[in-house]
Amino acid sequence: MLRLIHTADWQLGKPYGRFASDVRAALGEARFDAIDAIGKAAVEHGAAHVLVAGDVFDTEGPEDRVIVQAVSRMQRYACTWWLLPGNHDFARNSGLWDRVCAKGAANIRVVTEPVPCELDPGHWLLPAPLTHRHNLDDPTAVFDTMETPGATLRIGLAHGSIRDFSSRGEAQNQIAPDRAQRSHLDYLALGDWHGALRVDARTWYSGTPETDRFQRDEPGFALLVTLEPGVEPVVSPIRTGRFQWLMRDWTIPDADGFAAACDRLLGPIEPSATLLQLSLAGIVSLSDRIAILGKLDNDLRHRLRHLAVAADDLVGRPSEQDLADLRVEGMIGTAAAKLMTIIEAGGSDAVTAKRALERLFVEYQRGQDAA
Amino acid sequence: MSLKIRRVALTNFRKFRDPFVLDGLTDGLNVIIEPNETGKSTLLEAMRAAFFIRHNTANRLARSYAPHGEAVAPQIEIDFEARGEDWHVSKRFLKSASVEVRGPNGRAQGEDAEAQLQALLGARRDTSQAGDAAAHGALGLLWVGQAQALDVTPPGEIVRDSVRATLEAEVGTIMGGAAYQRVRPRIDSQFADYWTNTGRPSGRQSAARTEQEALERVATEAAARLAALEQGFADLEAARARLKLLDRDLADTTDAERRKALVGQIDVARSAAQLRDTRRAEQGRLADQVKGLQDLTVRLAEARKAVSDTAAALASARDKRSGLEEELAGTRERAGTARDRLAMARDTRRAAHAALDAATRLVAARTRQAEIARARQRHAELLPLEAELTAARALGATVIAASVIKALEDRERAVDKARAAVEAGATRVEFAGDVSGVEIDGIPATPGDRTLSRETRIRLGGAEVIIRPPAGLQSAETTLANARDDLAATLADHGVASVADARARNEAARDAVANGRTIEARIVAVTPAVPSLGIAAGASAVKSFVAGLSERADAEAGQEEPDLAALTVAAADTDSALARAEGTDETAAAQLRELEARNAPLMVQAAGAERDAVNAVAQLAALEAKPEVARLEEALSAARQHEAEALVRLQDAERAANAHDVAAIERQIGVLDKRADVARTQRIDLEKAIAGLEARIEAEGGKGLADRAAVAREEADAAAANLARVTQEADTLKLLRDTLENARAETSRTFVGPVARRARRYIERLLPGADPNFGDDLGLTSIARGGPGENCGDLSKGTQEQLAVLTRLAFADMLLEQGMPVSLILDDPLVYSDDTRLDLMTEILTDAATRMQVILLTCRDRAFRHLGNRITLTGAP
Repeated sequence: MLRLIHTADWQLGKPYGRFASDVRAALGEARFDAIDAIGKAAVEHGAAHVLVAGDVFDTEGPEDRVIVQAVSRMQRYACTWWLLPGNHDFARNSGLWDRVCAKGAANIRVVTEPVPCELDPGHWLLPAPLTHRHNLDDPTAVFDTMETPGATLRIGLAHGSIRDFSSRGEAQNQIAPDRAQRSHLDYLALGDWHGALRVDARTWYSGTPETDRFQRDEPGFALLVTLEPGVEPVVSPIRTGRFQWLMRDWTIPDADGFAAACDRLLGPIEPSATLLQLSLAGIVSLSDRIAILGKLDNDLRHRLRHLAVAADDLVGRPSEQDLADLRVEGMIGTAAAKLMTIIEAGGSDAVTAKRALERLFVEYQRGQDAA
Repeated sequence: MSLKIRRVALTNFRKFRDPFVLDGLTDGLNVIIEPNETGKSTLLEAMRAAFFIRHNTANRLARSYAPHGEAVAPQIEIDFEARGEDWHVSKRFLKSASVEVRGPNGRAQGEDAEAQLQALLGARRDTSQAGDAAAHGALGLLWVGQAQALDVTPPGEIVRDSVRATLEAEVGTIMGGAAYQRVRPRIDSQFADYWTNTGRPSGRQSAARTEQEALERVATEAAARLAALEQGFADLEAARARLKLLDRDLADTTDAERRKALVGQIDVARSAAQLRDTRRAEQGRLADQVKGLQDLTVRLAEARKAVSDTAAALASARDKRSGLEEELAGTRERAGTARDRLAMARDTRRAAHAALDAATRLVAARTRQAEIARARQRHAELLPLEAELTAARALGATVIAASVIKALEDRERAVDKARAAVEAGATRVEFAGDVSGVEIDGIPATPGDRTLSRETRIRLGGAEVIIRPPAGLQSAETTLANARDDLAATLADHGVASVADARARNEAARDAVANGRTIEARIVAVTPAVPSLGIAAGASAVKSFVAGLSERADAEAGQEEPDLAALTVAAADTDSALARAEGTDETAAAQLRELEARNAPLMVQAAGAERDAVNAVAQLAALEAKPEVARLEEALSAARQHEAEALVRLQDAERAANAHDVAAIERQIGVLDKRADVARTQRIDLEKAIAGLEARIEAEGGKGLADRAAVAREEADAAAANLARVTQEADTLKLLRDTLENARAETSRTFVGPVARRARRYIERLLPGADPNFGDDLGLTSIARGGPGENCGDLSKGTQEQLAVLTRLAFADMLLEQGMPVSLILDDPLVYSDDTRLDLMTEILTDAATRMQVILLTCRDRAFRHLGNRITLTGAP
């Protein structure tokens, strides 16, 4: 029996340049923390080997700090770390992996050559490292011809997309879907797909241990894999991720409906470890829209780690009452009427006019409150 | 409804220290005409104080109400009618400040009273230090202080709002001023965050753009650096691939094998070449042999011909010489004889001439001796002559000058004269007898006469005769003595004893001079020049010649005189004999030379011919001695055959050598070697390049360029997104602000219309056809008279003032329509107006007074005295 941890797509050093600096720091740090989570899981579950199926680093040229952080954290744990170059951190002469090896960590094995290695006696690892950012051929094709004398278990380690399931257009580094069967693999540990995914009983994507983009709601996982010759592998996900990246599309009837949706969202989550990408749609009164945006800016944004709102589809149409209120205000009413004219005419000016009307309304309301 | 002032009472208010009451004001036009400084303006100020200035304020304005330098409480009371009801206000400032308002609703005091006043008059609380007309509502505009009338002042906010309310019905809308005033500044301040006043991007917009540009630059730079690094990787890969290729090429043995084959070929080629060279040498040698034999044949023939030719030449030369030999011997003999004769003639001639010369010399010596003897003789004559000449000259030199002789004669005559004088006076004494014993002055006397010229003592025995000549004689005697002395001195000077002596001497001297000249002539005669002896004419030459002679005896004296003539003839004979001998000799010598000249070339020719003949014979002998001469023909034909055979062999060898070209093979080997060499060099270069690239990648690779580039790119994108947001925000604000501004302008235009309409009613009377334009603030901005508008500020002062009054009237009308309590008070108005305008204006004001109370305060009696209700402040009628 062989017990190991299957993980991938650490993407260490990912910049997160679009985020505020504090969020950026937290997200970057969380990726390193994931190594600790994996190391602890390995120790806890008695896994002597951790297979990392590519994209350990986000780029082929990371800062030295990133390498040192990664290596020093892996060194803390007794297991052996098998690092496979992926498309982000492909292997090449004098490149990234030479720098990693130069750190001289005894428990880190970088597999830059497609040459089988023995994990334990009879347990062979068949690696398919990537040597280019884009590999047009199936990198696992070499598994067919790899000699593994006296093998009781053959474990493939590769990075790329399975040829026929890529719905998101990842067409590079395509791997045959029946590779495990074709190359008589007991288990094929894959990387590249950022969510944990079972392709078949012997072919798995572990996903990233720490989610790095708005794509799916789940946090990051690593896979604990138990292998025995002739038996289907037992694969169980272990949560390693800290942050949840949530995407929500809400259609809002009014301010109250929005408040209720917020409450439903906040109920089950840990807000400080949540990043939310929120798209709002619907038609509400101008005053409701202002109230909604006010709640987002003044409340929800501060609760969550990060909030990105797309509210363009939440149309704040001034109600009859809104317009009537403005109309009695003489010049302001005149201005509002002018803006409405532009909005109704449509075109690119209409978008600006819509914002201008909203702003006018906000300022008018604020004045009313103060008055 | 008009506000009507009924009565005004002042105490302690500025110049009104004593209580003062103004009453008798009517509802219409009231004119208060008073000179300057009577307190008209103070009256207006007091009414403003009562209505608008808070009783309990102690501001600058309130303090100014107290009479100058007095700490008293200014007090005002006003009775007035407003909204058809009677009111009374009483205000006291500074000390025990108080206010009381009595009206239809009873009395009010303090703040309550102030509030009632404000509400009644449409004013608001004036918090300014010096009074703010805008806070005073309609009356702030309509109560016009001195000189204020000049400004075409826009109405204050209160008036504008009131007027708007008035106009509401007409234009059917409202300004919404309050809400606008709240919103607009906020929008403006937000706008200012993004734009300059002139609508250029600034503030946040610029900052966002700057940041975006900076980050974009950073991202581009990072990308460029990363690209450079990636290029390094690519270059490295390419270099490694090429190195692999090279190594394979170097390992390839094809070239080496080919080279080996070529080396084998080159050996074959080399031996063929060697054979060819040998053949070539052999053929050459045989050809040389043939040539040598041919040469020998030719030389033999030549030698034989030379022998015969030289022998002939020698015979001919010898023949030519044999005739000439005899002739030459005869000529030589003749020449020898002639030469002997010539030598003899020369000897003879030399002897004859020697004899002649000796004789000549002897004759000459004798001649000379004779001459010398004559010179001596003349010298002997010369000496006594010279002595004589010297004596004669000395005597000649003693001659005394004629003047001296004359002087001597004069002096002698003077002595004679003086003597005569003395003798005339002198005492003559004659001694006769025995005179012995007689002494004259101690001296024994002698007989004879005596002339006594001075006291003389004559002793006669014991007696003594003293004779004393007369006294005159004394001086005569002195004169004589002097004259004698003079004469004697002169004589002595010239060395003569007497004058006669002097004359005699002069005679002798003259003779001596003549004698001297004779002697000189004789000396010249005895001293002629003697050229043969080298003696010049003159005495000294002779003397020096003689002095130089030695006293030798004349040796030749005894010899016999030679025969010169005979000797001369003999010498001439020898001369002609010599000449003849010389002629003979010259002829003989010339003949000999001519013969010898003819003989010499023949001798050379003969000698040369002889030598040539000997040489030719010797050469021929040498050639004939050679062994091959014996069978020369056969040897030559054999040699020619050998040569032909060798040529055939050479051609064979050359064909063989050409088939294997060593140079071509060596070139091929060189190409192969070069190729291997280049490959090795390239390999070294590649390794060097690879090392360099590796070093560069190692240096740059550790810097995390890819990470940095990714970060920079994302930051730049974020900045771009931010810029888009900011730009959107800015555009939104710009649109909003512009829209608000347009709304305001539009609304203002809506309101300005009615104001302008009312004002035009009045202004048309003043300026027919003129069209007033009002600004958004309802201030009159310009007047259009048929053409483009004129700014109010550009109009004449009079017109400006009139317009100011008229626009105020227009506002007053509107306010009146609204039921506001208004009245018009003008302090010193229309000061710039001409008579026509003034009449027109007073007409308009009179008309206005039918609708509201009008109070004119003026100092111009003539202009206004005919108007309305006249009131005095001073009590005068």
